[in-house]
Amino acid sequence: MIYRIIQRRKIFLTISSLLVAASIAALAIWGLNFGIDFTGGSLLEVEYRNYQPTITEIQDSLKDLGLNSLVIQPTDNSVILKFQNSSEDVHQAILGKLQSLAAAQEGASFKELQFDAVGPSIGQELKSKSFNATAIVFVLIILYISFSFRKVSRPVASWKYGVAAIIALIHDVIFTLGVFSALGHFWGIEINTPFIAAILTVLGYSVNDTIIVFDRIRENLPKSSEDFENTINRSVNQTLVRSINTSFSAILALLAIIFLGGSSIRDFALALAIGIFVGTYSSIFIASPVLVVWNNLTHRPKKTA
Amino acid sequence: MRAKAWWILLVIILFVAVVGLSVGGNFYNTFSRFLADKTNKIVVLPLVKELPFSLGLDLQGGTHLVYQADVQNIPEKDRAGALESARDVIERRVNAFGVSEPVVQANKSLGGEYRIITELAGVKDVKEAIKLIGETPILEFKEKSQPTAVVSPEASGTVEANVDLNEGWQNTELTGKYLKRATIQFNPNDGTPEVSLEFNTEGAQLFEDITGRNVGQPVAIFLDGYPISAPTVNEKITGGQAVISGHFNVEEAKLLVKRLNSGALPVPITLISQKTVEASLGSQSIDNSLRAGLLGLLLVSLFMILYYRLPGLLSVLSLLVYGLTVLAIFKALPIVIALVLVIIMVGLVFYTFNELKIFNGTLAMLFAVIGILLFFYALKPITLTLSGIAGFILSVGMAVDANILIFSRTREELKQGKTVSQAIDAGFKRAWPSIRDGNVSTILTCLVLMFFGTSSVQGFGTTLFIGIAVSLFSAIVVTRTLFVIILGEWLEKRVWLLGVRRQPEEIKNN
Repeated sequence: MIYRIIQRRKIFLTISSLLVAASIAALAIWGLNFGIDFTGGSLLEVEYRNYQPTITEIQDSLKDLGLNSLVIQPTDNSVILKFQNSSEDVHQAILGKLQSLAAAQEGASFKELQFDAVGPSIGQELKSKSFNATAIVFVLIILYISFSFRKVSRPVASWKYGVAAIIALIHDVIFTLGVFSALGHFWGIEINTPFIAAILTVLGYSVNDTIIVFDRIRENLPKSSEDFENTINRSVNQTLVRSINTSFSAILALLAIIFLGGSSIRDFALALAIGIFVGTYSSIFIASPVLVVWNNLTHRPKKTA
Repeated sequence: MRAKAWWILLVIILFVAVVGLSVGGNFYNTFSRFLADKTNKIVVLPLVKELPFSLGLDLQGGTHLVYQADVQNIPEKDRAGALESARDVIERRVNAFGVSEPVVQANKSLGGEYRIITELAGVKDVKEAIKLIGETPILEFKEKSQPTAVVSPEASGTVEANVDLNEGWQNTELTGKYLKRATIQFNPNDGTPEVSLEFNTEGAQLFEDITGRNVGQPVAIFLDGYPISAPTVNEKITGGQAVISGHFNVEEAKLLVKRLNSGALPVPITLISQKTVEASLGSQSIDNSLRAGLLGLLLVSLFMILYYRLPGLLSVLSLLVYGLTVLAIFKALPIVIALVLVIIMVGLVFYTFNELKIFNGTLAMLFAVIGILLFFYALKPITLTLSGIAGFILSVGMAVDANILIFSRTREELKQGKTVSQAIDAGFKRAWPSIRDGNVSTILTCLVLMFFGTSSVQGFGTTLFIGIAVSLFSAIVVTRTLFVIILGEWLEKRVWLLGVRRQPEEIKNN
């Protein structure tokens, strides 16, 4: 049984174009919800036992300190406070106030769980570092694909495989960013350092997937009696089960983290899962169709003439 | 080939025993003590050394502090040295604080900023630590409060061990701000290391006065209230140039220079980033990760067995070898064990590829490089962070990728009518280029992650790299060895075990 994937490429390419357009629109309108790793600022998580102060109580207690952009988020068993990047003195003053809320209650206890303070310069640095790292990964991938496909030149030049893989990669990155733009807008999910690691890993993974399809094309092309389009379709079909199974097992492992791994790496695992899913989709429905479209664009005039 | 495969299996079993003992040494020791107890010391198993995992701050609790050093007022050429001195001061201060294995690193960022990164694991009073670290170092020169008539008979300039450094000192006016710099030099006569001091004009005058009234007496140098050196004055020193000679080795002299310079060129530091995690939050993260890891392993194993049947079961066995090996590499293994493990892995990879007849020079080089990297990672402890563990769990899902490729290929070959053993051979052979290209691209990404610089990202990249490298060994060598052993007439008749439906006649027809 062979699925007519390449023949239906217009449907998939249209869907993907729409999704990418929607992602870009989301990024343009909502932007990304950057966390303190990027923007600079402070995050304080404290735990109250046998007593849960209300948000207003906490706000009132901290009123004198004049904190800018204070956000208070109660979680299952702790309270998270976010505010501008502050000195150690302010941190201690806040702790003192929060502690006194518990001290006023019988049998209540108070504990600081974590405190993050990031200076604005560090955030700027992280942004440029992330950008550089992504650029380096892109370049390495193009180089590697061009190198490993150097012997395949008919009917499509080897560098075009690299470009097709990169188009699929850009699709994956934009889509993942778009999803997180929406997640950030509606559920307040933030982009922090681990997210960068997730995006870079998705890049590596997505290209891994694409390469495996291309490898099959490379193997089938010389001995194929069919035309380019059908050879590619057969190759995609042959690798279809493997692509889906590999991503499925990786996503199974990630689901375990999403459900049991605790809140601090849930978003990270979610980004990876979304990226891996869309990476698999793009290696099947984008990278190979793009090769065919490109080939037809360059070869069709000759045929009709 | 089967007889050889049994030998290989024996090597793999020994390999598993070694990694197993490295990972679960504590369980094994508990068991052997229990056994000795129950059998009245008849069965006494030797105990093994228990190796700990190295946990990051987010898992064991602690604080990560980043200080920005203000080097504006320090001449360009002295900046690196001044930062090194400031680092030394901080290290000494946190050591005094009683933190186990503190990390204090001087770091010049890509943007040319000078930073000092401090990691204090398990520190209880972060507030106190921050206060202590942030203070500017004070260098003071002190003399004996009651000049005594006792003149040291020994000659000059040496650090006297018998001088009581803690009591009876009084301040002089000379402090670190009059010291231009300290440098290490070597005595032209006997080549021993010496520390030379250079004072500014004002300092030269003060030093002349102090040495003038303390000839034959020690003058002590205090940093942050602790004595770091107490040379005896030989003669009155004019001109602002002095030399401390003594019985110290190069390391000691360097240390003294660093400490003197930290007072001479004090670098003001400001805390620009802090990350503090309470220990209970860390242990909760460990519990969560453990459960997530086990569930992930279980889900992936179930999937593999349900979908690929017998080969799936084999891949789950190699997945267990994979998990133990990666965990062992995370620990700091003794050099002999690390070497043996890597040699076995690379050796068996070479052997298996040779059997498959797809061995060549490029491949040998690729695995040699991976082997060397793995060897170094096996020697040093990999600090496990939350994201590092996530990388490990993800790699469990990805480690079966090579097997999925091989099994899918094997099924295709079976459907074309090949015998089971031919199909398996072809499956391994044909899947290899894809496995190679796919993994190399992921390894390239890992390398970028490792050099990214932020510790959580680095940790993730490192664990993912180790995972991919080991998975090449487990998925190819271990799975294939198991395959060769179970191959045989019985399996040819039961291709359904490989998930393929076929009539027995078909084999004959082909």
